[in-house]
Amino acid sequence: MSLQDFANTLADTWLATELTDSTWLFGTVESFHVVALTLVFGSIALVDLRLLGLVQGSRPVNDLLRSVLPLTWAGFALAAITGTTLIFANPIGYSENFFFKGKLLLLLLAGLNVAVFHFWVQPRATSPEALAPRISGGISLVLWVTIVSFGRWIGFTI
Amino acid sequence: MEFLTGFAAWLGASPITALVTSHGWIVPAIQVVHILAIAAVVIGAALINLRALGLAEQGRSLRVVLDAWLPVLYSAVGILAFTGFLLIASEPDRALFRTIFWVKLGLIVAALLVTRAHGLAARDTGDQSSVAVTRTPLHTLLAVASLLLWVGVIYAGRWIAYADGWPGAPS
Repeated sequence: MSLQDFANTLADTWLATELTDSTWLFGTVESFHVVALTLVFGSIALVDLRLLGLVQGSRPVNDLLRSVLPLTWAGFALAAITGTTLIFANPIGYSENFFFKGKLLLLLLAGLNVAVFHFWVQPRATSPEALAPRISGGISLVLWVTIVSFGRWIGFTI
Repeated sequence: MEFLTGFAAWLGASPITALVTSHGWIVPAIQVVHILAIAAVVIGAALINLRALGLAEQGRSLRVVLDAWLPVLYSAVGILAFTGFLLIASEPDRALFRTIFWVKLGLIVAALLVTRAHGLAARDTGDQSSVAVTRTPLHTLLAVASLLLWVGVIYAGRWIAYADGWPGAPS
């Protein structure tokens, strides 16, 4: 099944019809997507800025992570659910949109960066001057600002 | 509405509108900055209010969390006001003539007042400097109200794009 066939299948679903016909459903799901993505971005950016040594310098990274990670995951779950729902409103349009496909790829890279941070950077971050956490935080921040930008650009190009 | 019509006409003829509409990428770029500033408000409001409810930052006192986040939250609201003004300038006949825009402004004022009350209440309550989670009814009420108000602000903000303008408004 090609991507186009898959998009056509999604466009024929009950949810696609509901999202297109309803006057309130799309905007409501979109609003919750904004709440979710700002929670994800805000919590990740906070950790990234700490890794870069720009905020909350006296606070151990692990203590900060313990505090904000539940918010990141809760936000990510809500963003994934609402984001997937929004695709049903225009599956064919999204499947052909450069910024949508780019956003998915960047999300994959951001996930990879989290895995590298967790399994490789964190065990080695023994001193406050360690370079690896700073690089990891910088990459993460650039990736997430780009993800948010691509997300906004979808609205202008679809 | 006459004053608003005059203001929209003046703004639309100003160099600000000319600047923000001069290239197609400027408005989405301003929106990205607007969203990043919303993220600062959301994470600040989430940590403050969830701490007050005993659901996050349990190792730090409410006072410490408020001292860390209130300046961030207020600065972000300043950036939101500035980028919001630029977004209005990009389409002066749009937001100003929709009820939901004024509802959004009302919700922002209410959310800021509740946040301010939270800061004052934490200062007045001596035991809030303790890391022990002391959930007073006042802090619980302020925290729930604040979270609901900020979600309401985001909802109303997104809805500006979909609401109808007032009858007789410029278009």
